[in-house]
Amino acid sequence: MTDSSSVPVVPSATSEATRDQQVRFKSEGGKLLILLPPEGEGDIVNSAAILTWAEIWQQLKHRLDASDRFWQPETVVHLIARDRLLDARQLQQLAEALLEAQLHLKRVYTSRRQTAVAAATAGYSVEQQSPLAHLNQPSGEGGQALEEPLYLETTLRSGAEVQHNGTVVVLGDVNPGSAIVAAGDILIWGRLRGTAHAGSRGNARCVILALQMEPTQIRIANFVARAPETPPEPYTPEVAYVSEHGTIRITRAADFRRAQFEENPK
Amino acid sequence: MSRIIVVTSGKGGVGKTTTTANLGMALARRGRKVAVIDADFGLRNLDLLLGLENRIVYTALDVLAGQCRLEQALVKDKRHPNLVLLPAAQNRNKESVTPEQMKKIVGALTQAFQYILIDCPAGIEMGFQNAIAAARESLIVTTPEVSAVRDADRVVGLLEAAGIKNNRLIINRIRPAMVQANDMMSVEDVQEILAVPLVGIVPDDERVIVSTNKGEPLVLAETLSLAGQAFDNIARRLEGERVEFLDLNVPNDTFFSKLRKVLSTKLF
Repeated sequence: MTDSSSVPVVPSATSEATRDQQVRFKSEGGKLLILLPPEGEGDIVNSAAILTWAEIWQQLKHRLDASDRFWQPETVVHLIARDRLLDARQLQQLAEALLEAQLHLKRVYTSRRQTAVAAATAGYSVEQQSPLAHLNQPSGEGGQALEEPLYLETTLRSGAEVQHNGTVVVLGDVNPGSAIVAAGDILIWGRLRGTAHAGSRGNARCVILALQMEPTQIRIANFVARAPETPPEPYTPEVAYVSEHGTIRITRAADFRRAQFEENPK
Repeated sequence: MSRIIVVTSGKGGVGKTTTTANLGMALARRGRKVAVIDADFGLRNLDLLLGLENRIVYTALDVLAGQCRLEQALVKDKRHPNLVLLPAAQNRNKESVTPEQMKKIVGALTQAFQYILIDCPAGIEMGFQNAIAAARESLIVTTPEVSAVRDADRVVGLLEAAGIKNNRLIINRIRPAMVQANDMMSVEDVQEILAVPLVGIVPDDERVIVSTNKGEPLVLAETLSLAGQAFDNIARRLEGERVEFLDLNVPNDTFFSKLRKVLSTKLF
């Protein structure tokens, strides 16, 4: 419906490095895995990119609140702490927050001795891995399949950033100052006013859908676009996609299939 | 069970301290036992707004250092016996207190007070973390400006992450005439972004500045100003009363403003 100016940009190398700086949840074989971002000891260059415990804690709480009804009560949780140093107090804080969501922390994977000792003392089964073990875990390597869609039932407020190696579905508003970076599509059942980046690993066929599209910025693969200065009134559900001409376009959701059909006549 | 409420905003200068002082006084006048805590270590202001600066002997930091008992540091208000102030230290900074210490102090105050209002410093760093550590609910103060609303949004996210779910919104310094002329964000615009239940709308009022400088909260005035009335209403809503929001449009609809409106519509 509205054509917005868009310029291709060079995919930023930093996004690869920061991709791992996020608490990740994964369900596997009926268990819930919680992956903490690595601490990367001795890597002073990257120290600004390393999350503190307080930041990890915020992400974790936010994610627990947003997805709590997607886990069966009494689900078992395995914590993959990698090279994070966790003390007994932090482990207890974590277990309590999980318990509130009716999740049970049972096992801790770590490559740090102190974390292993703290976890064992607190009564969890511990698996100590060699420091290099986390490198074997799928992270940051190209050409891997997308993860399961991430479903969030929350308002993403200013400062919140969600990164996911797959499609992201948000039931709620995405406020200005927040950002979603997804390797797949982004579907927002609410208002999009923040920044959304779909197909973050280069897939230009990804789309961004929102009931009310007023983004700060939209990115699909390597393309960037601002929203039109004069938003359409009244708002209707819209879809942002990369057109044949290599620009990001926004079209009414009802017209989306047709628009694509007209542009790519089979 | 006493209510522990943090008054916070993210952005500075939107009226956290004014709100804390006025709500504290309004609640005290309604017969509640109220303690207001200045959590703005190093940049304390609450004592000035309450006109209690010259009565401070000990501060919260002296209590933590074991130099005095908590009761000794509490400054009783000169007008109302139900209101006490726990002043912050002026000669230290936010890093000199930890969230655990804040919890300890507030925990001790819950024994004797029904309301504990914590005046949060601007920002989201250590001072903010200290101020919200003990709180069970929050009042988020914002002005109808994009910057203030953006910061308030961030703060709501942080409060939710900290497990404080009972958050309510106060929109301060609204200018109905400007809203009507579409030059200012309206209450609806702010609410649409923040999606937090509204507990009060306070109009912009020059008398707020006078009251700040005199150290006399607005709610003490014999004839309440509109802003004073708004704060008093917020206190009543906190108490669970149902109070209609003030109709701010009426006093502005004088002959002159009407005239100005007619003129401005013709001009543009």
